Amino acid sequence: MKPFLSLVKRDLTLGLRKKSQIYQPLVFQLLVVTMFPLGLGSGAKTLALIAPAVIWILALLASLLTLDQIFKNDYDDGSVESYVLTSYPLSMAVMAKVLAHWLLTGLPLVLFAPVLGVLLHLPSSSYGVLMLSLLIGTPIFSFIGSIGSALTMSLKHGGLLLTVLVMPLLAPVLIFGAGAVVESALGNSASQHLLLLSGMLVLSFTLVPFASAAAIKINLE
Amino acid sequence: MKKQRTNAIVTLYHKLGSPPSFYRISGYFLKWLLLISIALTCWGLYDGLVLAPADYQQGDSFRIIYVHVPAAWMSMFIYAVMGIAAIIAIIWRMKVAEAVMIASAPIGAWFTFLALVTGSLWGKPMWGTWWEWDARMTSELILLFLYIGIMATYGAFSEDARKAARMAALVAVVGLVNLPIIHFSVKWWSSIHQGTTVSLTGESHITWEMLRPLLYMAFATKFYYGYSMLKRARLYLLETESQKKWAHTVITENK
Amino acid sequence: MPIIKATDVSCQRGQFTLFEPVSFTLAEGQSLLISGANGIGKTTLLESIAGLRSIQLGNIEYKSIDLLKSKDQWFDDSFFIGHKTGNKKELNCLENLRSFLQIQGIDVSEKQAEDALDKVGLAGYEYQFAGSLSAGQKKRLALARLTLIKHTVWILDEPFVNLDVAGCDWLLKLLNQHIDNKGILIITAHDNPSIRKKITHELVLEMQR
Repeated sequence: MKPFLSLVKRDLTLGLRKKSQIYQPLVFQLLVVTMFPLGLGSGAKTLALIAPAVIWILALLASLLTLDQIFKNDYDDGSVESYVLTSYPLSMAVMAKVLAHWLLTGLPLVLFAPVLGVLLHLPSSSYGVLMLSLLIGTPIFSFIGSIGSALTMSLKHGGLLLTVLVMPLLAPVLIFGAGAVVESALGNSASQHLLLLSGMLVLSFTLVPFASAAAIKINLE
Repeated sequence: MKKQRTNAIVTLYHKLGSPPSFYRISGYFLKWLLLISIALTCWGLYDGLVLAPADYQQGDSFRIIYVHVPAAWMSMFIYAVMGIAAIIAIIWRMKVAEAVMIASAPIGAWFTFLALVTGSLWGKPMWGTWWEWDARMTSELILLFLYIGIMATYGAFSEDARKAARMAALVAVVGLVNLPIIHFSVKWWSSIHQGTTVSLTGESHITWEMLRPLLYMAFATKFYYGYSMLKRARLYLLETESQKKWAHTVITENK
Repeated sequence: MPIIKATDVSCQRGQFTLFEPVSFTLAEGQSLLISGANGIGKTTLLESIAGLRSIQLGNIEYKSIDLLKSKDQWFDDSFFIGHKTGNKKELNCLENLRSFLQIQGIDVSEKQAEDALDKVGLAGYEYQFAGSLSAGQKKRLALARLTLIKHTVWILDEPFVNLDVAGCDWLLKLLNQHIDNKGILIITAHDNPSIRKKITHELVLEMQR
């Protein structure tokens, strides 16, 4: 457990020192959200209709901005060796990296979502479901993203490839995440969507660390 | 050159899938695969476009299924073959499996593309629009993205073909695990958002005369895939084994 | 009694085999210098031995266990420092030294880390960010790990590069000490003749014919 916690602690320290990783995605979201009323007109009804999808897609795009950094920095400076060359399982290190990444970038997205909701006139009854769905969904972004990051860490410009790899895999997350918010905005129960979303989180929690670990190993060759 | 020692598992798989013997044996099949696929295609298309009766609702426009449906079947069939080859390539590092995997991707992508284009062409008379976000079409589109991801990964690591192949194989396996989830979620999504859309391969009572050409075409595409895949796989093996004696012999003999 | 036994090992880059297969055995207190022309694959070989890459041709046994089968024991006993120093530029020297080893499960107290920095001549730099150090100081920071570990096998890729005369002397002394304590050393060092005095084995990599 100690190596795991050390890695999480190190990444959190790094993230809190650089900060740009934390606030840049939020600024990005705010900027893009501003463009919607400007492009669509400020009709509250139209905005409320598209709000769930827009907020979820923005969460997806905002996390794509930081996903490549999960392993790329460690590859570039060589500190990836510190968790590859040990008898501790690499999949645990992947977990630590994913946890740290989510705490630094996913959690802020969850907490910031209500602000976007207000700007897009999201019905007040949906805020709880919005945050809950993002709370379950954003860790999946970090998990699936870690595979993409591990695959592209040795590339100079791997950002686009990472997007191509990760986006199709995240389509189901978007369907159920945004779907949950839409349901709640219509006054229906979102529990079915949220349960399926949780199922995906459990699945990525169990499978992804191994996939990412394999990708790191192949990439180091 | 000294004989190199390898461990037991590797030796076993080298016997099962040694590149030179794969290259040699597949060479015998190539011509036949191509001939059979051309013959079946001609026969199937004639049967489908001329002999089969017109649909009482859709008239002649339904005949596009003789391209659309086999292409859609192939898009999934090839992904399955590729996924299995990818698993073998990752776990046992078998070169022939890498070759099959890498060779399959572009063929699968083209069939997927063909299925999308023919679906869209069919959609115009059927739905009155070139594109409908129907569950099957959407899944097919995401499948195309997966194929593109696999090929892009292979392309990104071009300095080392074997590493590139294993990376691409990993992407293929991750996609294989995700495909059922994507398929299911897209189906669910479309059932919520559109109610019932007209399905492209509707349950309408299809007569034997209409079904028969479809079967010919389904086999024709499989033979074509066999031909094209082997041809590409052989090229991959020649490239990655270009330092070996057998590859050298093959290249100089074919000059 | 040999502890490390490598048989017909070679590396590949793309489809090309880099060098003629090499074999060697190492016992306690022995050391191996790997030399050869630029681009021949010294680093690749070292990384393969360390376990960062897989061994593509031939095999290596550690305490009679094939590294292809299990690397756990090997990872517990061997320590690798490569070209990349593994330092984080946003962390200070103390944090860098401690976190790198803690991630590997090696506990290092602040006091121990301070002593280690003192030994490599980085006293006074404890709270300086690694990003602001010179290349030589970064190398020293990486090498400071060696004073805190108990691994028997050290695998070092060009450890003398970027070090000044005093740094080289210090490192040489440390390596000698390690060998005298029955440690094993695998090293590449193409520009340091004084290391040869203590070297028991040398491997010259040659182009694959």
